[in-house]
Amino acid sequence: MDSPDETRVPAIRLSGLKKRYGTGEAAVDALKGVDMTVWPGEVVGLIGPSGSGKTTLLKCLGAVIEPTGGRMEMSGETLYDAAAGGWKVADLRAMRRDRIGFIFQAPYLIPFLDVTDNVALLPMLAGVDNSAARQRALELLTALDVAHRAGAQVSQLSGGEQQRVAIARALANHAPVILADEPTAPLDSERALTVVRILNEMAVQFRTAIIVVTHDEKIIPTFKRIYHIRDGVTHEEVGEGRASY
Amino acid sequence: MINLAGRDILHGWGRFLFTGVGLGLLIGVTLSMAGIFRGMVDDGQVLIDNSGADLWVVQQGTLGPYAEPSSLRDDVWRGIAGLPGVAETGNAAYLTMQIEHKGREDRVMLVGMEVDRPHRPGAPAYLTAGRPVLVGHYEAIADERTGLELNEKVRIRRHDYRIVGLTRRMVSASGDPMIFVPLKDAQEIQFLKDNDALLNERARTAANPAFNRPGVPGLLEAVQAAGAQSRMVNAVLVRLEPGADPEAVAAEIRRWKRFQAYTRVQMEDILIAKLIATSSKQIAMFLVILSVVTAAIVAFIIYTMTLAKVREIAVLKLIGARNSTIAGMILQQALGLGLIGFLVGRVAAGLWVPIFPKYVLLLPEDALRGFAIIMVICALASVIAIRAALRIDPAEAIGG
Repeated sequence: MDSPDETRVPAIRLSGLKKRYGTGEAAVDALKGVDMTVWPGEVVGLIGPSGSGKTTLLKCLGAVIEPTGGRMEMSGETLYDAAAGGWKVADLRAMRRDRIGFIFQAPYLIPFLDVTDNVALLPMLAGVDNSAARQRALELLTALDVAHRAGAQVSQLSGGEQQRVAIARALANHAPVILADEPTAPLDSERALTVVRILNEMAVQFRTAIIVVTHDEKIIPTFKRIYHIRDGVTHEEVGEGRASY
Repeated sequence: MINLAGRDILHGWGRFLFTGVGLGLLIGVTLSMAGIFRGMVDDGQVLIDNSGADLWVVQQGTLGPYAEPSSLRDDVWRGIAGLPGVAETGNAAYLTMQIEHKGREDRVMLVGMEVDRPHRPGAPAYLTAGRPVLVGHYEAIADERTGLELNEKVRIRRHDYRIVGLTRRMVSASGDPMIFVPLKDAQEIQFLKDNDALLNERARTAANPAFNRPGVPGLLEAVQAAGAQSRMVNAVLVRLEPGADPEAVAAEIRRWKRFQAYTRVQMEDILIAKLIATSSKQIAMFLVILSVVTAAIVAFIIYTMTLAKVREIAVLKLIGARNSTIAGMILQQALGLGLIGFLVGRVAAGLWVPIFPKYVLLLPEDALRGFAIIMVICALASVIAIRAALRIDPAEAIGG
């Protein structure tokens, strides 16, 4: 992503975000002051060794756990501000549903729903009626080139197809931010690069900011910006951004 | 919104169905136990209804003739028949015994009835085949459940009896089918001693100088004849005239005739509340235990099914599913399991009940009550699984 202009609003902005587990002598500082800015339409990599704080950061970003310091903004709105008492959002569950998409290490699709309903479930949970939600799901499945498996059961899909459906699900509610946790881990090189290509395309097409946590050496060169996290602190690096896929 | 519970059930319908069938067999046993209790109550009720009596006159201080032994002279009816409000009386003798039939032994209740005219109190209410007993000896009417057939001969103690009629639902309070014989035969069967005992008794009487006086001819024969005959019955069954007050007539009998007289309401109380009270408690205990076992099994199944979906539930919570959506899914599955279990149980009970040796009565209202209880049990059993599901951290879906 090119340098943003001053008038644009970042999809995610973290300022000195901290997370401490436990208290007293047993306290562990998993995040010691993370700064991060991700723009709409951008895919950034978040890499770091095991225990560096990646998962904790992802959980804070996903509003699954509460940070213990710093500030977190989404699309210009303050979600969390330690100085102002913590969460600024009354219903975190609804916030996750409406504003954050999740892609997991494994697709974690709901096995008892077919492909369309796996994607349509999210809008349905948000109150969209069934037919509109399914229509939206079909559009996304078409965009991700898996519409031909719309009526299939999850168990009938290949690993790559399942991951595409998971991406479609993450996009189903027009979330401005998608958090992808090792989305290529179970895939071979070719499929991993395909997933990254799809994420880049979706980010551009839907103006979604995507944060990809990864260890995968194959895909690291594809990011234009990378955040390294080590010992709970992030360092930004401009990536190669090669379109090797 | 998609019905998540329904989709999950359809997805694993085979496992769900087999689980439901297993649960259903347990529920079938529970419904059968309730049916056994109802059958016992109905047997008691049928015994009262089919006797054709409004009052039962029995030995003073007893709960006879069904719950306790009772013995009356067989001419007691004469004094009762003359009381105001009494339409008809009938002597009755009851004896529970084993009979041998087609190579097997069956337990029956032998009923001695007066055969001088039909529809005397104590006679079977109706016949399904054959005719009433027309002679004073060696003819019988049998309940169909004895397995006896028309014109078949059955050995009862010393004599063979020809089955001249068949009847239905004529059973004792404990469910044994009845065989009706003439009263005199029943008296002989019930009270008469065997030949060896009679010879022994005669010898004893003859050896007693009080009964064998040289100056009193005929005394010994009279005493011996008295010992060989029985003039006792168990009860006098009384049918009242229309409009007569049973309580008033019963009070009259108690006061002037020095017998115990029970009305229909009192007899129902004896048969249903007293006679089967212990059995009722036994069955009630069994029903409670079965209910607890059913609840435990449903809870275990639903809990296991829920734990098998930890990751899916974590994902659902992470993507914004409400707790009520997840709880509703588990609750609906528990209720679905209960529904399948109930249907299987009801069908199973309906299939195996006819082969029970005693009457089992499956009432629709009991089935409805059972259905409601099963649904409540399933709902309560799902609470543990719902609590477990609501404790699942959505963060489990993220990272390691």
